[in-house]
Amino acid sequence: MVRVGFRELLDRSSRESANSAESTESAESAELVESAASASSPERSTDGHLTTGGSSDTDTSSSRFRIWLEGHALALTALCTAAVLVVMLYVPTGIVFVNAVLENGRPTLAHIAGVLTDPFYVGALADVFADLLTIGAHLRSLAGWISAISVSLTVAFSVPIPVVDGTVPIPWFALSVPPVRQGLFGFTAVQAALSTVASVAIGLPAAYVLANYEFYGRRTLRSLTILPFVLPGIMVAVGFYAMFGRTGTLNSVLGAVGIGPFAFIETSPLAVVILAHAFYNAPLVARVTVAAWESVDVRAVETARSLGASKRRAFRDVVVPQLAPAVLTGALLTFIFTFMTFPIVLALGGLQLATVEVWIYDRIQNLDYADAATLAVLETMLSLGLTYAYLRYESARSGLSQAASAPPTEPLFPDLQTALSPRRLAIAGYGLLALVLFVGPIASLVVGSVTDGGGFTLRNYAFLLERQLGGEQYQALPWPAIRNSLLFGLATLAVAVPMGVVISVLTVRAGRSGTLVDTLAMLPLAVSGVVFGIGLLQGLVFGLPLPGGWRLQVTGPIAIVVAHAVAAYPFVTRNVSPLLANLNSAMVESARALGASRFRALLDIELPLVASGIVAGAAFAFAISIGEFSSTVILAAGNGSYTMPVAVERYLGRRSGPAIAMGTLLLAVTAASFVVIDRVGGRYEL
Amino acid sequence: MTTLRLSGVSKRYGGSGGSADTAADAGAGAEAGTVALQDVDLTVNDGEFFTLVGPSGCGKTTTLRAIAGFEEPTAGSVTFDGESVAGVPPERRNVGVVFQSYALFPHMTVAENVGYGLRFRTPPAGTTVDERVTDLLELVDLSGYGDRSPEQLSGGQRQRVALARALAPAPDLLLLDEPMSALDARLRETLRRQLARIQTELDITTVYVTHDQAEALAISDRLAVMRNGRVEQIGRPQRLYREPATRFVAEFVGDNNVFDGAVVDRTGTGDEGEGRASVAVTDGTRGTAATFELADVPANATRLGFCVRPGALSRTASQNRFRVSVETTEFLGESVRVHGRWNEIPIVLRLPAVPETGTDITVGFDPGDAHLFEAD
Repeated sequence: MVRVGFRELLDRSSRESANSAESTESAESAELVESAASASSPERSTDGHLTTGGSSDTDTSSSRFRIWLEGHALALTALCTAAVLVVMLYVPTGIVFVNAVLENGRPTLAHIAGVLTDPFYVGALADVFADLLTIGAHLRSLAGWISAISVSLTVAFSVPIPVVDGTVPIPWFALSVPPVRQGLFGFTAVQAALSTVASVAIGLPAAYVLANYEFYGRRTLRSLTILPFVLPGIMVAVGFYAMFGRTGTLNSVLGAVGIGPFAFIETSPLAVVILAHAFYNAPLVARVTVAAWESVDVRAVETARSLGASKRRAFRDVVVPQLAPAVLTGALLTFIFTFMTFPIVLALGGLQLATVEVWIYDRIQNLDYADAATLAVLETMLSLGLTYAYLRYESARSGLSQAASAPPTEPLFPDLQTALSPRRLAIAGYGLLALVLFVGPIASLVVGSVTDGGGFTLRNYAFLLERQLGGEQYQALPWPAIRNSLLFGLATLAVAVPMGVVISVLTVRAGRSGTLVDTLAMLPLAVSGVVFGIGLLQGLVFGLPLPGGWRLQVTGPIAIVVAHAVAAYPFVTRNVSPLLANLNSAMVESARALGASRFRALLDIELPLVASGIVAGAAFAFAISIGEFSSTVILAAGNGSYTMPVAVERYLGRRSGPAIAMGTLLLAVTAASFVVIDRVGGRYEL
Repeated sequence: MTTLRLSGVSKRYGGSGGSADTAADAGAGAEAGTVALQDVDLTVNDGEFFTLVGPSGCGKTTTLRAIAGFEEPTAGSVTFDGESVAGVPPERRNVGVVFQSYALFPHMTVAENVGYGLRFRTPPAGTTVDERVTDLLELVDLSGYGDRSPEQLSGGQRQRVALARALAPAPDLLLLDEPMSALDARLRETLRRQLARIQTELDITTVYVTHDQAEALAISDRLAVMRNGRVEQIGRPQRLYREPATRFVAEFVGDNNVFDGAVVDRTGTGDEGEGRASVAVTDGTRGTAATFELADVPANATRLGFCVRPGALSRTASQNRFRVSVETTEFLGESVRVHGRWNEIPIVLRLPAVPETGTDITVGFDPGDAHLFEAD
């Protein structure tokens, strides 16, 4: 049996006071003696119980520096992060704002007023903005518009059915709404709203199936819902081309049964764009809803049942209220994302389907920076408002408790009889639809890259090789694109991970006042890539005059990497923060009581425990860098720093083959980073 | 070893001092400007097992955290062997802390957990880090568990690992914050005996925080009863049990019958302790007067409180008799605990046999068995 008695402790402390080991502890204790001397009695001895080491004779300046560094490491990293954010995020965004209200160096609201009163931008609201005070007139015109809406029921609305070669009359509500000029903003909002509706409609059944049924591959499917989010937008757009294009997979399939071909993209680009948005955001909706569904305490449902609620009623009263916030979160995020949509609309819709973002890009291409900046400011204000609403809402929700016992799942297809029940058949039908929507474009991309009008071919890849070997200086070459993408991805990782972790640590530590830090740091989520791109272009690429004749100028690869890092670090933060916040604070306190400094406790205890979040965040950062298109396409203009998505867009010409081949390579690289995310373990956050 | 002294320690949250966030963390009742500790004075002697006990929110944990260095008092001083520890961060106070939540590091093995503190402090003379870890695991009866992960252990085993981890660097003080609250009653008793044995063996100054007064009475050399951030009474368990200084202590420590009333009658001279004094309990119309030796009653007191332990109330006592209506009975084996009422005042008795529920029984007490204290 051990005895650590009084004598032994006395021995220990005297031995240590004699000991002049050049350890960190001795230096630390020396510092303590100094700092404590002022607070305590002057006759304080060096063998006091509070110190662990001995005299300060052996201190070297390097070990002092190390201790100083250890004590201030967090502050230093925070300072660097703040500097990067200010130079690369706040200043560029600020410049865009300033340019929107400056005319020849003098402040003016003319630009903003011009946009707000132009029906091209704001549609019917232009009159309202033009003369805000004639409220009566505005209300009268609104009333007139409402009275012009007519609803009618027609019984003989006919739907042409090609197979039976005739028309079938079905009862139909006809809702006739007088036309409203939507304007650019109106159209952007309408397409975002439609995309949100489509995403929720497609995402909810998936959430229902994933949360309530057990089947082979359920877990894999659940983690696959994260995949669309890391897929580059431009690649998805090309995938939709390969699926819905005139020579796409869908037309091939339809052609096999003698229908078509249809020009889906040309005749209804909006529908295809909305589907592409659903491809992105329906999994997001499904993901947050499944998480909420699985955290419903089944005991609460059972309590409701025992109190007399029917199964349906218990679902309505207990489950739905807990799902609703999650669905709303998913819908709000979807609206924000699709409001700022860029590569998908640019590639699938072009200028005839211009959203605000696409139009800003077009203005930049035409060197009309003032207009672009004004539009950017208005768009950012709208999206900032939405993002603020989201963050407020999310923080209000974060207090919800975790489920004590998760609801049970039942087998999806236990036997043939159950499998043929209406509900299971509906699920199977939904599964088929999901297969077409989610697997279709990706599969079409891969298949499309090696086929040409039905036969197997390597022509598309051969084109890439030829271009690589004999391409002109001004053309985008495949290998530099791949190399740049990988290099920028790694560099982004190196910058974004420390930034994200530091912001997590600061927000979690700040407690309640952390919300402000969080909101400021989450700004990149609300500033679209294109807006950010012009900010960087006008600010750092063109250069900013500094006092003393210096110019602050950041260009080329560095600008791109930092732009990617700024776009990516929120994902590191969002993966690390929840883990960090859930850590038992007693753990850090135990470590400190055992002698670890605050920084050592961070290294020894907190970081290892949030490692999975850090790696997942890092993989996100890498994937986002690989896929980032909006700011890269602006910053890479006119130099050799183009990445794979930019190359895809440049190849997207009359023949889609080469772009599809390039898109497939992009898919391969992105998939590899997803494998890393998945290997690291089953938790990720958006 | 170490004598710990707290003098005039106060802790306020909110207002100045910038500790609003810690207040938010502390949770219950910690609004802006809340007083968590008010003028706490106490001394823990070298090698003593000292317990802070009180209801939740009484400030016992805040006191412990102030000793450990996780909270800085807004006023007053904490000294270890006479030396102020103001401004000394926790890692340099050489204290061992055990939390209710165990707070084991889940990414480390049991041995790594126990050895963690030895990364910063050298093990006691003549032992290597490995030997020290082995010794400590042996001390808490967990030899051979070193390679396990904390997740493979039961609650009681985890708590013993936490104790071994806290003791490994040979701290000057051992601080335990409700270390057994998460364990079941039987395990708690076993661990309590083990803790008492280890504490005596190591002769280490120990501060133990609990809300369980029975546990506090059983384990402590001395204890402090706390309430609303203040110390109500400090003393040995027997003294606190027999002679509570306030109504709160009387009610908090053990089963008790607490009364108060006006001193209505003094007879005799009182010079030689002769004579009697009566205290009218309740409003004096339906109430009964209890009589005491005049010597026990402070000369200038007009109101007094007194308490009588359940065991001191008996059906055979000849003095201070009153009728109790029996409401519920609990059979405890050797005796029966009876809850009843006299004039709306709840009464608890301990009787050898079970009385009929709903009947009235008459009990009384010897004045010497009652303890008087100042009325609130």
